[in-house]
Amino acid sequence: MKMRTPLAWFNLTYKRQRLLTALAGVSFAVVLMFIFRGFENALYDSQLQFLNTFNADIVMVNRIKTNMFIPEKFARRRLYQANAFEGIDAAYPLYTTTANWRNPDTRRIRPLRVIAFNLNDPALLIPEIFSHRSALTMPWTALVDRKSRSEVGTIVPGTVTEVAEKQVRLVGNFSLGTDFTSGNGNVLMSDQNFVRFFSALGPDEDERNLNTVDIGLLKVTPGADVAALVQNLTKQLPIDVLLFSKEDFVKRELNYWKENTNIGFVFSLLTIMSFLVGVIIVYQILYTDVSEHWAEYATLKAMGYSNFFLLRVVVQQSIFMGLLGFVPGFFISFGLYRLTADATGLLMQMNTSRAIGTLIATLIMCLISGSIAVRKVQSTDPAEVFGT
Amino acid sequence: MRVPLAWLNLVHEKSRLVVALAGVAFAVLLVFMNLGFLGALAKSASMFYEYMNAEVFLVSPQTLEVSSTTAFPRERLFQAKGLAGVDRVMPLYLAYLQWRNPETRQSRAAFMFAINPDDPAFLLPIFQDPATIGILNRPDTVLFDLRSRPEYGPKTVGTTTEVSRRTITIGGQYELGGGFAADATVITSDQNFLRLSKIPLNLVNMGLIKLEPGVDADAIAARLREILPKDVVVRTKAEMVANDSDYWIASTSTGFIFGMGVAVSCVVGVVIVYQILYTDISDHMKQYATLKAMGYRSGYLFNVVIQEAIILSVLGYIPGLITAIGLYAFVAQATSNALPVGMDLQRAIGVFILTVAMCIVSALVSVRKVVTAEPVELF
Repeated sequence: MKMRTPLAWFNLTYKRQRLLTALAGVSFAVVLMFIFRGFENALYDSQLQFLNTFNADIVMVNRIKTNMFIPEKFARRRLYQANAFEGIDAAYPLYTTTANWRNPDTRRIRPLRVIAFNLNDPALLIPEIFSHRSALTMPWTALVDRKSRSEVGTIVPGTVTEVAEKQVRLVGNFSLGTDFTSGNGNVLMSDQNFVRFFSALGPDEDERNLNTVDIGLLKVTPGADVAALVQNLTKQLPIDVLLFSKEDFVKRELNYWKENTNIGFVFSLLTIMSFLVGVIIVYQILYTDVSEHWAEYATLKAMGYSNFFLLRVVVQQSIFMGLLGFVPGFFISFGLYRLTADATGLLMQMNTSRAIGTLIATLIMCLISGSIAVRKVQSTDPAEVFGT
Repeated sequence: MRVPLAWLNLVHEKSRLVVALAGVAFAVLLVFMNLGFLGALAKSASMFYEYMNAEVFLVSPQTLEVSSTTAFPRERLFQAKGLAGVDRVMPLYLAYLQWRNPETRQSRAAFMFAINPDDPAFLLPIFQDPATIGILNRPDTVLFDLRSRPEYGPKTVGTTTEVSRRTITIGGQYELGGGFAADATVITSDQNFLRLSKIPLNLVNMGLIKLEPGVDADAIAARLREILPKDVVVRTKAEMVANDSDYWIASTSTGFIFGMGVAVSCVVGVVIVYQILYTDISDHMKQYATLKAMGYRSGYLFNVVIQEAIILSVLGYIPGLITAIGLYAFVAQATSNALPVGMDLQRAIGVFILTVAMCIVSALVSVRKVVTAEPVELF
């Protein structure tokens, strides 16, 4: 049966203001789903953004460093040993630690992650770091992550403040972002400055030198088989280090956070509840509409239109609502993502597959409401309507 | 008003009312869940202080919260001991150690509390047993937290494993929970702390000051702030709890995330209630206009709509609250109490006020249509 009159559409657009209210309802249900999914993804994605900047094909860590949170180091000579293998092009030591940063405005202490490496090594895939290379070679200098949380305070180049209770001069900024391990932000310095800051600490703190490395980055020669090299290195090197392809290392970190935190549980629960709220909102709108046009639906039935036809009208209406409500919901969520990213430094990513996932959830939400609301139409008895 | 018009308007269509209440209840539930998660995180971060047998605490100014402390000189504690009203001062040493699971040989970070075995520093039941002091006095022996995650391996007394290249034995068990900062905790003696961490004992991570009964903690804290140098910060227990909770909520993004969850849930609530009131008003436009033509003032109609909103908020709040209590129990169970969500009176009242406010906002937006109802236009 071809439908010549777009009944669902007319029903929906019959009262402009009511349509707007209805769409606002759907949009906000969409926003709720988007932000809770977004937070969940951001908490996971953020853990990986530092790892993804490693300029490495193979990553070497201490055996007991099962995640980035564990401050275990390994001997630098393992990197030299690995560098001697055929197929390994270069080995870069990367030093990280957590240090107290003094906010230059409020003078308050905040924990930051310090990242250090030899400035001649292209250890991180953040090109802007290397434009500050000559300034960073000066003693007591550092770059600060501009995505650090606002508690870090002023970070314009030239600011003088303290890291680990020693004076530091900022010579520039770079972009990385925060995660669970980084505290409030990131500071980047040369390995020589790392020694200056962290080789003489109080007796209650772990002193650092360049002989122990937090993360070893290995570059392979073009065309080399990474998987075979990882296997070979694992077999040949002492068992105090573990080796992973960069991809596996990132995956391992993600798995750690998935298995050891309740992030997934908390946000899945909130997303499911948002979905149910959406079902209720859409049902409410359709129910009002159906009860208002009850007489008309009964007339259609009396004229011989089947229940199936009426079902189609209501379901169509719900799908229109889903689609029309999704668009503003998407844009509002986009804005909220930006807001969150700016305020927290979390990596809030909106990508196609996530947007499509939420769109499908929205449509299912509308279909559920539509099929509940249609029951009232289907039970319509023309005789009853005209009898009164 | 002799006729309860608002009430009759709402119950006129039963199933619409039920859907409306479901909508409000879900908005309330969402707000409760967001606040519940936030509260659970704050609570688990500072739960540890409830078990500390002290009213006033000393920490270094560089200390952020319990798991990231900087040490301060032990002399400060002895200075505090000189003050009248102070019963006892107890140093608490804190550090992370790498606990090796004896079965899988995998190491994981555990948080170590170290005390002088003769100090009644903890209010845990195990310390009421005098044998515990003997256990703590043994070298390379620790008490192990039963609330530690299962990844740490067996927790039974007598288990031996390796920590910092030493063989360590579990000598006893207690229940504490590591909150945000640790997946496992152990308690040991100061001598074992020295063996494991090599940090000298004249540097204290946290100073516990136990007052004589009936002494005002705030007054002692104020006095200590006067007499002690600036290299220590003095806090009462309540200030310590507030400091740690604030740290975790503000400096991690959790506060922002769940705050935004609450805000968006409220907006959804407003939209739901607005929708109900708007539909109701447009359905009864004629009647409202008639009332106006009969001489009822706009204020009367305004009252009716506001009343409807308040009825919706109260009726929607109750199922929301009940469902939230049920879901809290479910969450606590599903996360094996890692997220200690629970309802408290303050939150219940706060959300109730928020719900009423939300409904009134919707009423104020939708009431314009009634107030401007023009009898002439309709007839």
